[in-house]
Amino acid sequence: MTVLQEPVQAAVWQALNHYAYLDAVFLAERLYAEVRSEEALYLLATCYYRSGKPYKAYRLLKAHSCSTPQVRFLLAKCCVELSKLAEGEQVLIGGVLNKQKRCSADSPTDRVAKGAECFQRSLTLNPFLWSPFQNLCHLGEKPDPDQVFRLSSLQNCSIAPPPPSVSPAQNSSHRLDTALMETPQDTLELNRLNLESSNGKLASDLSVSYIDSSLISPDTGSLLGNTVSMASAGSLLAKQNKPKSGRSLLGGPAALSPLTPSFGILPLDPSPGDPTYLQNYSSTMETQTTAPSKKAVSRISQSKSVFSQSGNSRDVLPIPFNQSQTSAPHSSGSPQVLSPSMSGPPNVQPRRSSRLFTSASSTAKENSKKLKMKFPTKIPNRKTKCKSAKTSNSTNLNESLDILRLDPSLSLPETKIPQYQRAAAGTIMALLRELGRGYLALCSYNCREAINILTSLPPQHYNTGWVLTHIGKGYFELAEYTQAERMFSEVRRIESYRVEGMEIYSTTLWHLQKDVALSALSKDLTDMDKNCPEAWCVAGNCFSLQREHDIAIKFFQRAIQVDPGFAYAYTLLGHEFVLTEELDRALACFRNAIRVNNRHYNAWYGLGMIYYKQEKFNLAEIHFKKALSINPQSSVLLCHIGVVQHALKKSDAALETLNRAIGIDPKNPLCKFHRASILFANDKYKAALQELEELKQIVPKESLVYFLIGKVYKKLGQTHLALMNFSWAMDLDPKGANNQIKEAIDKRYLPEDEGTHSERVSEPGTDEQRGKRG
Amino acid sequence: MATPSKTPPGADPKQLERTGTVREIGSQAVWSLSSCKPEAVGINSSLMCLPSTCPGFGVDQLRDDNLETYWQSDGSQPHLVNIQFRRRTTVKMLCIYADYKSDESYTPSKISVRVGNNFHNLQEIRQLEMVEPSGWIHISLMNPRTNEPISTFMIQIAVLANHQNGRDTHMRQIKVYTPVEESSIGKFPRCTTVDFMMYRTIR
Repeated sequence: MTVLQEPVQAAVWQALNHYAYLDAVFLAERLYAEVRSEEALYLLATCYYRSGKPYKAYRLLKAHSCSTPQVRFLLAKCCVELSKLAEGEQVLIGGVLNKQKRCSADSPTDRVAKGAECFQRSLTLNPFLWSPFQNLCHLGEKPDPDQVFRLSSLQNCSIAPPPPSVSPAQNSSHRLDTALMETPQDTLELNRLNLESSNGKLASDLSVSYIDSSLISPDTGSLLGNTVSMASAGSLLAKQNKPKSGRSLLGGPAALSPLTPSFGILPLDPSPGDPTYLQNYSSTMETQTTAPSKKAVSRISQSKSVFSQSGNSRDVLPIPFNQSQTSAPHSSGSPQVLSPSMSGPPNVQPRRSSRLFTSASSTAKENSKKLKMKFPTKIPNRKTKCKSAKTSNSTNLNESLDILRLDPSLSLPETKIPQYQRAAAGTIMALLRELGRGYLALCSYNCREAINILTSLPPQHYNTGWVLTHIGKGYFELAEYTQAERMFSEVRRIESYRVEGMEIYSTTLWHLQKDVALSALSKDLTDMDKNCPEAWCVAGNCFSLQREHDIAIKFFQRAIQVDPGFAYAYTLLGHEFVLTEELDRALACFRNAIRVNNRHYNAWYGLGMIYYKQEKFNLAEIHFKKALSINPQSSVLLCHIGVVQHALKKSDAALETLNRAIGIDPKNPLCKFHRASILFANDKYKAALQELEELKQIVPKESLVYFLIGKVYKKLGQTHLALMNFSWAMDLDPKGANNQIKEAIDKRYLPEDEGTHSERVSEPGTDEQRGKRG
Repeated sequence: MATPSKTPPGADPKQLERTGTVREIGSQAVWSLSSCKPEAVGINSSLMCLPSTCPGFGVDQLRDDNLETYWQSDGSQPHLVNIQFRRRTTVKMLCIYADYKSDESYTPSKISVRVGNNFHNLQEIRQLEMVEPSGWIHISLMNPRTNEPISTFMIQIAVLANHQNGRDTHMRQIKVYTPVEESSIGKFPRCTTVDFMMYRTIR
């Protein structure tokens, strides 16, 4: 049976590798019809999933019992894609892959603490993972980048921390994607775990299983090599140590024939030539020693295609590093073995990496699938055997196996090659640490620090969309909109396909009232990708700036339809409803935003605003303070809190808050304005005047300033100055035709007992007449 | 008596909207007409006919942002347009589009604006005469004493007379505007500079 299957399987993998999904699906269907085995089922489901039809894979897998881990994993992944989170979790829990994917289900189903725990664990297991770190930041935890992104955790995985959490439960699909993405590293790590730790604890089992599932992700090529060696190593260890169920996973799913071809070891190698894989693999080992950063660059360019699917706007950078890195530390034996045999010139590496990456399916999904397929190979031994059957490459593997057999502890081999790999890994880790620190600072709204950290990155990383976007976001949160706009326009210039972060750009333009730029951005994005919520948010902002609120509402609703998990769309919709005075609907929108993302301080602010409009000042203050607890550096928020406190008659507290706001951001004119108005309300005219004079220097063209000055002078009795300022205010605001200003001027004349004006005749009658005429 | 000068057209309300000082709230109200010409079949239109019964020349045409379509009344004067809000709403001004050149004897010449809580306690607050209008007519609904926009549940626009003593009237478009309270915090008038507005709100 295997003989019959293998050519077909090879053909299917070939088709998948070349993105010929129609062919792959067709062949897989024929194969499944012919051979009703779980492997064929898995292959068919993989073809469906990779061709972008998770529902087909889901229904197919549901209809049949799934016993093997990779099948369960795929089913869980489909569940996550189709938002059937509870079911996905069930599937995962039911199988050996116990805790792995549970994390993915955890976060979305709001078990935040568990999700955070899972993320932490996954980070300890595999420090190359970025998405768990990102997720932790989003959840409000503060993972320490220096702790997380450490090579030592890679090296000494004998800790065997509970691997379950490996797959961070980002937004389930994300998580799975990332999990899959990370698999190579994970697998490597797991293998390392297996290699190094002699404890056959459940943890390692799980980690193994995690690796199994996680392996599926990217880059079949490198993984093939890796997993093969891993598997062999793992199986060896498994033999030596008490074989755990998890470990058997290493070998177990190997039974799935789809894996075998992908490994390239076996005859049914769908990918472009088996030798290349192993070569690639070994060469990666080699080349890692040389110029790691250069490697990274070349890899990055290729890996970008591989990893760009993760859906996060995260930096692709770490991954390729990981790949190379993981391969390095992992097969302690295999690199050694392979390197001598396969050692090629260092320049082979970049070449290889391209092959590695491009030959593999480009989408992470595909990769993950592939990895999945690859990984769950049951019996590494079998693989290695098959390998040996294949090419000289396999002989290398056999050799490595032998070596592994010889030295299970594999401590010796590690000394040589891991050194180089460690250096390369060290570079990546350093980069990840920096990025992690910057990202963490941004998520805790320490925007200055974040900007500093991110700006000090080396230029090749600085000039990437991810970094610039996050710097722009930092400026945005600081309300430095001109700087933010500069950053974002740079992003648009270098990465015009980037949509993540564009909604922030559109809000920046909205604040700056640059309607031309905003409408151009809106048109560009909606033309490019109609299925991303960011594009529709931009369109909505564009119309909101044009004051066409009904159309803006329509677009924001469209953004929500496209992605119901996008909190910012709800917030923007809420703001639009506030502008159209539909406060109930606005309340509902803001609450939805908070439901989606508890740390979305804009939504808390929005709620506070509505309560302020409804004059429920206590509630307003509570909500503003909640927003402030999330973002303590926002001077605008502090300003609002100050105003609310003043409305609650807590003027001292208000003044203090405003002082704090001005301390944080001296350029915020509104804080000074409100401070002046509070001083005015408390009859501290001199102080108010002083404040306003300073304000006049900052914003000389603002009519409100003159209006308030006028009022102060009026109270002080200096009517001529008051009148002068009022007329200036009116001049500056002709269209507004502020009734208040007019009123202020008119009222001036009504009580005519003062007669302080020198030009006034002290006759009450004439005064009145003059007043009326005025 | 000298020839009364033609009523000059006002600014396009769209421009007004863009300044952000006013907001069109006709969509928040229920509109009804005293009568309107039916489409093809000669149905006797009753008082308070609903738009659904009068395709072609009814409320839809009055609110469709299209200056080519119009409401044509089909009854005795005064022809009424009733605008009822769900809640008490401040209204700053009305804009009516009338064009003598295209409507001639159908062009309204004397319009009365009444406000109140319901049909039974409407009070006239404005009456204006138009002479050969050719564009948007802005009717300000500010209380002359307090200079505040009026706050009401219902507005009724009554066409008392047409040009050339025409019986029925054409009305091409009516828009209702409420003032926008720009300042998000504090009871201050709106700010004018971008620098100020940038810090006004978190979006």
